[in-house]
Amino acid sequence: MVVIPELTAPTPDVLRGSENSAAAAAAASLSAVQGRPEMAVEIRDFDFAYTEELALEDVTLDIPAHRVTALIGPSGCGKSTLLRCINRMNDLIPGAGVRRGSIRVQGEEILGRTVDVIALRKYIGMVFQKYNPFPTSIFENVAYGLRISGLSNRRALADAVERSLRRAALWEETKDRLHEGALSLSGGQQQRLCIARTIAVDPKIILMDEPCSALDPIATAKVEELITDLRSDYTIVIVTHNMQQATRVSDRTAFFYVGKLVEEGETMKMFTRPEKKETEDYVSGKFG
Amino acid sequence: MAHILDSFENALNELRRSVLTMGSMSLRNLEIAIKGCVDRDTDLCNSAIAEDDEVNELEMSIDQQGMEIMLRYQPVATDLRKVLAAMKIAGNLERISDEAESIARRGRKMNKHHELADLHLIEPLYEQARFQLEDALRAYTNGDIDLAVSVGEKDDKLDRAHRKLVKYMTSAMAEDSEAVKDYLHVIFIIRCLERVGDHSVNIGEEAVFMESSHDIRHGNVDKLEEEE
Ligand SMILES: Nc1ncnc2c1ncn2[C@@H]1O[C@H](COP(=O)(O)OP(=O)(O)O)[C@@H](O)[C@H]1O
Ligand SMILES: [Mg+2]
Repeated sequence: MVVIPELTAPTPDVLRGSENSAAAAAAASLSAVQGRPEMAVEIRDFDFAYTEELALEDVTLDIPAHRVTALIGPSGCGKSTLLRCINRMNDLIPGAGVRRGSIRVQGEEILGRTVDVIALRKYIGMVFQKYNPFPTSIFENVAYGLRISGLSNRRALADAVERSLRRAALWEETKDRLHEGALSLSGGQQQRLCIARTIAVDPKIILMDEPCSALDPIATAKVEELITDLRSDYTIVIVTHNMQQATRVSDRTAFFYVGKLVEEGETMKMFTRPEKKETEDYVSGKFG
Repeated sequence: MAHILDSFENALNELRRSVLTMGSMSLRNLEIAIKGCVDRDTDLCNSAIAEDDEVNELEMSIDQQGMEIMLRYQPVATDLRKVLAAMKIAGNLERISDEAESIARRGRKMNKHHELADLHLIEPLYEQARFQLEDALRAYTNGDIDLAVSVGEKDDKLDRAHRKLVKYMTSAMAEDSEAVKDYLHVIFIIRCLERVGDHSVNIGEEAVFMESSHDIRHGNVDKLEEEE
C-alpha cells in the first residue's frame, strides 16, 4: 500500500522562478536574528519504506535556508534514503514509497502526484559520492542541464558555464581546457565539476551524499571550502561519515539511528554537549 | 559504554591517572612545606622544594598526553571536556605545588632565626586550604558536581580568614621590630595558602565543566542552578 497525500495544487511557484539570492540570504539572516530562520525543507511525521519494513520512521526535521545541515549516523540508518526523498529520487523504485507524513519545500508540499518532479529536481540539485561526470567535455558537462532547459544561445551558454565553473572554484583550473574530456580531470576536480553542473541550472537546495568519500585530503579540503562558500547562496544538506567534516562544514547536525531521527541541533552543541546518550556514544565512537 | 578503540579508552584512563597522581603529589608537597615551617625542619623544606620539579614534569607530561589524544582521536563531547579539564587541572596543580615551594623557601629562611610565637596560627588556615583542595580533587575523581560547587563557597570563608590573619600579623609586626622579616615571611605564606584555595576553586570549576558542560567560572554558578 502506497499512501501518497493527494495534491491537486499546481506546481509551486518556488519550484520554477529563481529569486534574488542575496535578498533571500538577507531575509534568512534577518529571520535568524529574530529567532525564526526561514525553513527550506520541513519534514513532518515522515515514514518511508522500500518493502514492508520502514527505512525511515516518524522523522520530523526542519532544514533552515542558507545553512549547511549534516546528516550523520551508522551505515544503513536511512540518511541517503532521506536525501532521495527530498528530491523524489526514490519514486522509481518499485514498491517503495512514502507511508506517512509530508515534506514541504519552501512551504510547498512535494509528495503529491501532481508535483512537477522535473522542476523539483532543478530546484533541488544532488551531488553523489562517486563523482559522475558525463564522458563529454568539461564545457558540455556544465552546459548539459542548461541546454535541456532550452538555453541555446552560444554566448549565453558560455557565460553561464563560466559563471558556474567560477562558483565551483574550478574556472582557473579549467578555463584553458574547456573542450577537453571531463574524465581527464583529477578526482577532486571531477567532483567540483559535478557541483558546477548542479549549480548551472540554478537550484536553491543542494543535496550531497558523502561527496568527499572518494577524495584525498587535499581534494576534500577544497570541496569543504567550496561548501562553506556556497552556503550564502544555497541551502545544503550533506550526508557524511566523517565526524570532523560535519564539525567543519555544517551549521546543524541531525543524527539518525535505524531509521529514526535521534537528535538534531546546532553542530557545535551536538559535538560538545549532545542531549541524548545515543548521540554522545555515536559521535564519541562508543558501542554498547 | 566503552570506546570502540581500546587505545583511546586506555589513553583517557591514563590521563586521568596522571592527574590524580599529580593531585596527591601537590597535596603532599603542600603538607611537607607547612610541616617544614611549623616544625622548623629544614630537610622537609628542602624536599618540598625538590619535589616541585616532579610536579612540573608531570604537568608537561599531561599536556603532552592531552595533545596526543586530541591529535590521534579528535575527542568530542564528554571526551573532549575530559581532556580539556585534565590539562587545566594539571595547570592549577602545578601552581599549587609552586605555592608549596615558596612556602618551603620562606620556611627555610625562618628556620635560621628564633621561632616566631605566632607561626602556629597558619595551621588552621592551611587545614582549610587543604580541605578545599581535597574536596576539589574528590569532586573531579567522583564527578561530584555539588561537592565541586561547594569548594567555591568554602573559599569565601578562607578569604575572610586570610584577611583577618594578615591584619593580625601586620599589627603584631608593628610591635615586634626585631621580627619584621619573619612576620613578612608569614604574611607571604598566608597569601600562598589563600592562592591554594583559589586554585582549588578552579579545579572544582573544571570538574563541573567536565561533568555537566556548564561553565561556572566568573560567578556563573547561578546558571547551573537554573538549569538543574
Ligand atoms: N533501493 C533499495 N531497496 C531496498 N532497500 C534499500 C534500498 N536502498 C536502501 N535500502 C535499505 O534502506 C535502509 C537505509 O539505507 P540508506 O538510506 O542507504 O542508509 P545510509 O545512507 O544511512 O547508509 C538500509 O537498510 C538499506 O538496506
Ligand atoms: Mg548512504
